Amino acid sequence: MRALVKNGIGVFTPQGFLDGNNTSTFLSLEDVESTVELNVDMVLVSLKKVIFFNKNGLDVFIKLFSKIRQAKSITVGFCDLDHKKYIAITKFYAENINFSIFNSFANASLFSSSFKNQNKNVLLFSDDKSQRTAMAIELHDAGHNPIVCQNFEEFHEKSANKSAYDNIIQDTYLGQMGQKVATRVTGNAIIYTISAFLDTEIGNTFNIAYHKNSLNVGFRLFIFDAYKVVSMNIHALNFFSRLATSAAEYNATICFVGLDSTKVQDSFQETMEDAGIIFYAQMEDILGNKKLLEELGASSAANIKNQRSLNKAIVTKLPDFIDATVATIEMMTNSKAAKEAIEVNKIDIKETEGKIASSIGFYGDIDGMVVLVFPKEIAKKACELLIGENTDDIEMILDTLAELVNIVGGKVKSLLGDHGVKVNITLPRTYHSIDSLLEVAKDKKGVQVDLVFDNERFLFFLTR
Amino acid sequence: MVTKNDIDIFIEKIPPTPKVLQATMILVNNGELSKAAKIAQSDLALKSYLINLVNKPIYGFRTEVSDIGQIFGILGLPASQQTLYNYMLTLLSPKKWELFKLNEKTFGELQAHLSLKWKKILEHLDIKDKEVESAITLLPASIIVAEALFSNVKKDVDLLRSVHHLDYNTILKRLCGTSIFDICVQIANKWDMPEEISEIVYSSSGLNPSSNKEIDILAKWMHLLLFYELSKPMFVEASLNDFIDFQIDYVTDIYEEFSKLMEIE
Repeated sequence: MRALVKNGIGVFTPQGFLDGNNTSTFLSLEDVESTVELNVDMVLVSLKKVIFFNKNGLDVFIKLFSKIRQAKSITVGFCDLDHKKYIAITKFYAENINFSIFNSFANASLFSSSFKNQNKNVLLFSDDKSQRTAMAIELHDAGHNPIVCQNFEEFHEKSANKSAYDNIIQDTYLGQMGQKVATRVTGNAIIYTISAFLDTEIGNTFNIAYHKNSLNVGFRLFIFDAYKVVSMNIHALNFFSRLATSAAEYNATICFVGLDSTKVQDSFQETMEDAGIIFYAQMEDILGNKKLLEELGASSAANIKNQRSLNKAIVTKLPDFIDATVATIEMMTNSKAAKEAIEVNKIDIKETEGKIASSIGFYGDIDGMVVLVFPKEIAKKACELLIGENTDDIEMILDTLAELVNIVGGKVKSLLGDHGVKVNITLPRTYHSIDSLLEVAKDKKGVQVDLVFDNERFLFFLTR
Repeated sequence: MVTKNDIDIFIEKIPPTPKVLQATMILVNNGELSKAAKIAQSDLALKSYLINLVNKPIYGFRTEVSDIGQIFGILGLPASQQTLYNYMLTLLSPKKWELFKLNEKTFGELQAHLSLKWKKILEHLDIKDKEVESAITLLPASIIVAEALFSNVKKDVDLLRSVHHLDYNTILKRLCGTSIFDICVQIANKWDMPEEISEIVYSSSGLNPSSNKEIDILAKWMHLLLFYELSKPMFVEASLNDFIDFQIDYVTDIYEEFSKLMEIE
């Protein structure tokens, strides 16, 4: 069974009946491992469409969870369950619950560091006082506003006013939470969440390949959310200094939030500042200040020290990239595409109004970036299959567009794989306007292909 | 990915009921089982299907039954009709399954399991109606339709499903405005199956409850039975578990009764 990955959470959704005989056929260790490789914060099994389960059935999942937790420090457990199912699971495992349970996927997302929507008002209740506290701390650390009910009566009363809260949490249990460096993308910034005592282990838990590729894709602002950091030693200091030096080559900025002199020595902070790292007290100091955000990250794409150009390896694979893109858009729109022109040059977008864009990077045997520029109508049509309706909600269209570009990336990966070229893909990035795309891509040379879908022009651009 | 034209081509290709089968069916419907057996003998494929079916372990016969007259006698009138419909459906099933890891044998197993458990359900509900008994035979047509329409685009569907949880029925509905169950109804019409059969199966998707209470109850039992069977390891491994969405809310009110009947612990 394949997992669906959203908000940094890999979710498996079995249907029907789960018992000791069939559970291992639903989910294998390979299924879970391939999901973990997608850089997820959590692996969950949704019980939304399970009408019956017994302990023998769940035991198979629990064993898999335990193996994964031992190998990778990520959160594992169940989601999407009602009160009856929650009681059954807590009864089966009583005092021995080392996995997490979330009453819904939406509530699980609140605890995922890759969830980009913060500042949610969250009403929460648990019979267990230590659980109430643990959840409140985690939610607060994740940037939400938890409202904790001390007893069920209070919860019952408050939860009656559903519109007052973004999320309502009950029938939820936090087992061991993940410890890897989680990543989320907010606009033009990438936020890494680090915690506890930082030592040489940071080199293992931080995904350096992902970071380098984000630099290549055009991200220029990297924020380390260090609220939960206790302290760090010289090895971690060296790691961050090296990271800042390499970022400088791309004119990128590294910031730390929530790391003050109570957590690190002054001399450490000075060394980091010398390497170019900037410190802020609150995340809001950066994300809430649009001008500062621009200064820190969005306007530097043209100044990359090592401006890279197209090479033969990538150009020879051009047909694979175009095929993957055309096939995906054709699949999503059920319409045919026609190629109009192919040109090697800097990106050239004739009319910028009413267009949105998306990009995805790839790295491995070859590396580069695919940029797709959609007229809004084509984007809407392509997203209809995923959304199920025609919508004008631009945020929803951009989110769905990211999923669509993920499919393009997956298809590129598969087509190149068929030709013996191994690549991995990054998280997709979307752009509200062509101006924001051009900030990243205007000086890059690449192959531009103009395509026509249903009389609407659509632009494909492959660059490095 | 899948177009309206693909659906039209698929429906066009549905073979008409073979003459021998047609004649056998009329005689079975008239209760003339021995005459029906004589006619059925002349179609070797039908004969072989009937022998293989009745000798499956689930029927529990110790010695092999190979006489068609005896087989119709053992099955009785409603089950004979049901078996003939099941046979018709195999005429539509692919030689080689690509989308689902099925073969002639495992698909036959699914048909047999569904038929026998459906019989148990109807006995429990005290329903004696041979058309209703036969309704279960059309249900696996939904699997055949998904296989026929999506087997050539398996990789694309896998990619699509890796970013968004969509079942085959939803994909088809959103792309072409037609559901898998709409196509099942068209198959039933082409084969002159009684309207009641297609009505029950249409509602058993769980997405289009029938306004006829009796049909709606039967559709609920059928929906739950389908997912009970699709949770079996053999069918989970065949990637059948999530080919359509399980509508858990649709069947919640009959679940307790179902679990007692199926002795689920």
